Amino acid sequence: MNNTDKIILYDSINKIKIIGEFTGSIISKYKDSIIFSDNIKITESEGINISQGLLVGFEDISENKIAYSRKSDFSWENLEDSALEYCVLIPNDIMELYSEGQFSDAFPFTITLLHTAGLYLNDFKQGINHLDFFKGEILKNPVALIRNGMLVADRVVINDKGDPVFYDCLIVGRDQKEDLNISFEPLANVDDRVVEFVIILGIESLKTT
Amino acid sequence: MLLFENTRQKLLYFLKILGSPFKKFVSTGEFKEELSLVQSRQDLLESIINIIENNENFILPIIGEVGIGKTHLYWTLKNKLYYHNTVYISLENVYKKFYYNTYSEFIENLGVEPLRYIANQLCNSWGALERKFGFFHVADISKVRKTACENWSSKFDDEIALTDVINAITAHQLDPYKKIDAERWLLGELMDVRELSRLNLTHDLRKEVNSFLMLKILIENSKLGSVLFIDDFEKILSMMKAAEEETDETEEVFDPSWLYGTQNRALPEIRTAKKILDKILNLQKIHGIRTIITLKSIDSFEEIKKMIEEKNRKLLFFLKEPLFLLGLDERDMFQFYKKAMEQFLENINYVEFLKENPDSYYPLNEKVLKYIFNESNGNPREIIKFLIKIFNEIIFSYEELDDILVKYE
Repeated sequence: MNNTDKIILYDSINKIKIIGEFTGSIISKYKDSIIFSDNIKITESEGINISQGLLVGFEDISENKIAYSRKSDFSWENLEDSALEYCVLIPNDIMELYSEGQFSDAFPFTITLLHTAGLYLNDFKQGINHLDFFKGEILKNPVALIRNGMLVADRVVINDKGDPVFYDCLIVGRDQKEDLNISFEPLANVDDRVVEFVIILGIESLKTT
Repeated sequence: MLLFENTRQKLLYFLKILGSPFKKFVSTGEFKEELSLVQSRQDLLESIINIIENNENFILPIIGEVGIGKTHLYWTLKNKLYYHNTVYISLENVYKKFYYNTYSEFIENLGVEPLRYIANQLCNSWGALERKFGFFHVADISKVRKTACENWSSKFDDEIALTDVINAITAHQLDPYKKIDAERWLLGELMDVRELSRLNLTHDLRKEVNSFLMLKILIENSKLGSVLFIDDFEKILSMMKAAEEETDETEEVFDPSWLYGTQNRALPEIRTAKKILDKILNLQKIHGIRTIITLKSIDSFEEIKKMIEEKNRKLLFFLKEPLFLLGLDERDMFQFYKKAMEQFLENINYVEFLKENPDSYYPLNEKVLKYIFNESNGNPREIIKFLIKIFNEIIFSYEELDDILVKYE
């Protein structure tokens, strides 16, 4: 089922839960990670199930924070105790705009990483900041968790102030009333102080996972 | 303070400064004609549009003598058929590299944006724009090419040409480093071996099969309908006749059998003419191509019909009954003159003249126009030639206007 009117499929804060099976482009926020998937099943008895989604985030390995993107099935039976915050289905018209930005010939010299890597992590102890290193470069497939929301873009450029500028991006976030909103922005200039993390998805990781 | 302005005198001054409103008596496929068809030809126009809109593949002959307005009809059709890509081919100019030239004309009419759109849609249908995890376009070019080959191998015979076309389209859409070169190839630019090998291609579109294949792909996948207007179709007959006369009557300095063998006496012109006819008939394999051909007489039509019948009787199914383009009647000529003058006055920003003299034929008069009509027998080209002559006389002669007009009344 693909219902574009009901874009907020689950919201733990506003107590929204729409029962049904949905396909399309779905973003879910789970703990400090983001799940991208093309399907989701929400039932009263079995909770929420996502088949073959892509989980993107940071994990601790030997006291280091390492970015990862991993394909997996997800299931939350008891939603009240789970760390799943929300699931949103991106409307088709917004996805069409997002798709138009792909394969743009205006940026032929884009750096595409083969494997998923962390570009920036706002962490007091184990923070990562490669923004200066990539200053002036165009990086493909960035995913960012920002204060009150998340962002997935076609490409990111680090400007001369060292702030990431995202191009052709989808933004999912909460407004002042804590309601979830989805928007498409051709260009989003984000101050690195509000960024929790920026991960560059590796093309090989996407192909092989 | 200006109390009175002599608008007629002012028009004469403008004519002397800016030149004649009638300059061109031959319509060509290169220069756009703005004037629409005259009233008596509207029914013919409607019939043609009706045939175009209700049929997918056909060859429609339009018969009309020299200078009757066959090429002008093309421009009217082009201006009227918003949802069709109407392409003009003159066999007088294009009889070598027929498919390549037709493709070039087609692309010029279609434009780059629709070409990009079609390439994008094709790649999409081959799974190139599939979103992994609902979001990420992970383009695997080799996989997309494989899918394209699998989908199309049953439809097209020539594997090398098919591979070239698929490689060019996929490189154009999915490989940003080769996109510009691939677009040049798709636009029909000539490319050397090095450029072709960079794109992993064997030939450019000068190769007959490649240009035919691309033409077929674009026409069959375009959202617009396609109309091919082949002017001077009689070129095929004239080439054959000229060559036959040459073989029959002229003395040969060199024996052609040295070059072409004793069995096949046909000269290159005959073979070229036959090849063009074959190629035009072969175009009917492209689904959705509507062909209009112009001929000068019904005899030529019968000859062409006979030739098609000899080649393949089934192809007669595509051949429609001919439509006839007749000369202008007197009312048409008056209407044509008025429209041409209106357009001229609008172009020189002197529409005040029209407001003050709405029914006037100035600087000519009704008698002169009737004289022109009688002398030209309603042939538009002859009418325009007369108008050019009289207007040139008005502009360049020191005689009074009335004295000039008297000669033509």
